[in-house]
Amino acid sequence: MDRYVCTISGHVYDPEKGEPRLDLPPGKAFEELQNDWQCPVCFADKSKFVKA
Amino acid sequence: MVAREIAKGIFWVGALDFDRRLFDELIPLPEGTSYNSYLVRGSEKTALIDTVDPKKEEELIVNLIKLGIEQIDYIVINHAEQDHAGSLPMVLEMYPRAKVVTNEKCRDLLVALLQIAPESVMVVKDGDTLSLGDRTLRFFLTPWTHWPETQITFLVEDKILFPCDLFGFHQATSELYITNEADAYRSAKRYYAEIMMPFRNSIRGYIQKVRDLDPAMIAPSHGPVNKNPKFILDAYAEWVSDDVKNVVVLPYISMHGSTQKMVDHLTGALIQRGVDVKPFNLTHTDIGELAYSLVDAATVVVATPTVLFGPHPQIVYATYLANVLKPKVRFASVIGSFGWGGKAAETIVKMLDHVKVEVLEPVVIKGLPDEAALVALNRLADDIAKKHKEIGIL
Repeated sequence: MDRYVCTISGHVYDPEKGEPRLDLPPGKAFEELQNDWQCPVCFADKSKFVKA
Repeated sequence: MVAREIAKGIFWVGALDFDRRLFDELIPLPEGTSYNSYLVRGSEKTALIDTVDPKKEEELIVNLIKLGIEQIDYIVINHAEQDHAGSLPMVLEMYPRAKVVTNEKCRDLLVALLQIAPESVMVVKDGDTLSLGDRTLRFFLTPWTHWPETQITFLVEDKILFPCDLFGFHQATSELYITNEADAYRSAKRYYAEIMMPFRNSIRGYIQKVRDLDPAMIAPSHGPVNKNPKFILDAYAEWVSDDVKNVVVLPYISMHGSTQKMVDHLTGALIQRGVDVKPFNLTHTDIGELAYSLVDAATVVVATPTVLFGPHPQIVYATYLANVLKPKVRFASVIGSFGWGGKAAETIVKMLDHVKVEVLEPVVIKGLPDEAALVALNRLADDIAKKHKEIGIL
């Protein structure tokens, strides 16, 4: 599973770590996140992420 | 201040702030700034586009009163930041029948930042139009050209673009229009570096969109009005591109002279190899100038002495700032000196996580640079020249 980085804030979504501050447990691929999922740091849309 | 007509029935009603010397309590303003607000009169309705910094709200109101404006129907807010939206509560108090016009994200920010009542806002979407009778405003959402809610407004019939922060610059001047493009280029590039550079990739997507509108005039929210939009659009196209120049930016601090000697040697070695160098002694550097130089430099070399096992705090500050401004720099390295130990280079390299750089081997030495240190600096200059040749800029 790939890590994705937010092109606005630089936050990295790491599927092996999940998103503790969004109560999102590890193990979910970025592609499987809902389309309205947002960066937990700057709230940019999912579309602003690119593969790290 | 005094309201001025930029086209028939369209007035600049903003405020000039000749005295302001610092923005965001961070960035020096060598030329002061202005907060531009514009009044557009249509045959049926009157719109105000953006407001001014709240410390100048009375000037805006006086401008409107002196123009004899008894009613404002719409207040378009292109950006929720306080230096443009901050006088909205006062304007709404003076013109209670006015409707605030902006996008959904901006409405939420106006509620949070200025406690504007959500029901006073008319929400617009990308491409929506608003008729003023014989004039039409058209809104385009341009998120992440500074903030997530940023939008631009186009006055269709007069072909005037009101882009708020985009394409403007900090300058207080009695001149209503840009008169000297070379001077304006410099000020606009500095502004881009400080405010827009982190959003380079988002802005790139909007430049063609703005060109397609073919604006006759750009009326930004800081600085004079631009009657030659091509000038600023071409400049932005250059800055947001991936092209870098044959330049090394060299921010440094030296406490006892060792790092200074290394900086002097590296500067000479780079000049000898045909590479331009911009050293900045951070003890007396205007950080806006440092940001300006980072807009299109290919390489940054951070030069630091060692304070308590790490880099000098002034260097940490500049590196943090350079990293969050996300310049398109391709190569980075660290040079410096220590007395008894430390890991200054590792700390600096770790801080550069927002920029995609290839790190060239640092040169960190003990004490005053000796012959071996100078050889190592020559090696770094060789590495930089080689990299610049590889990407075709030397």
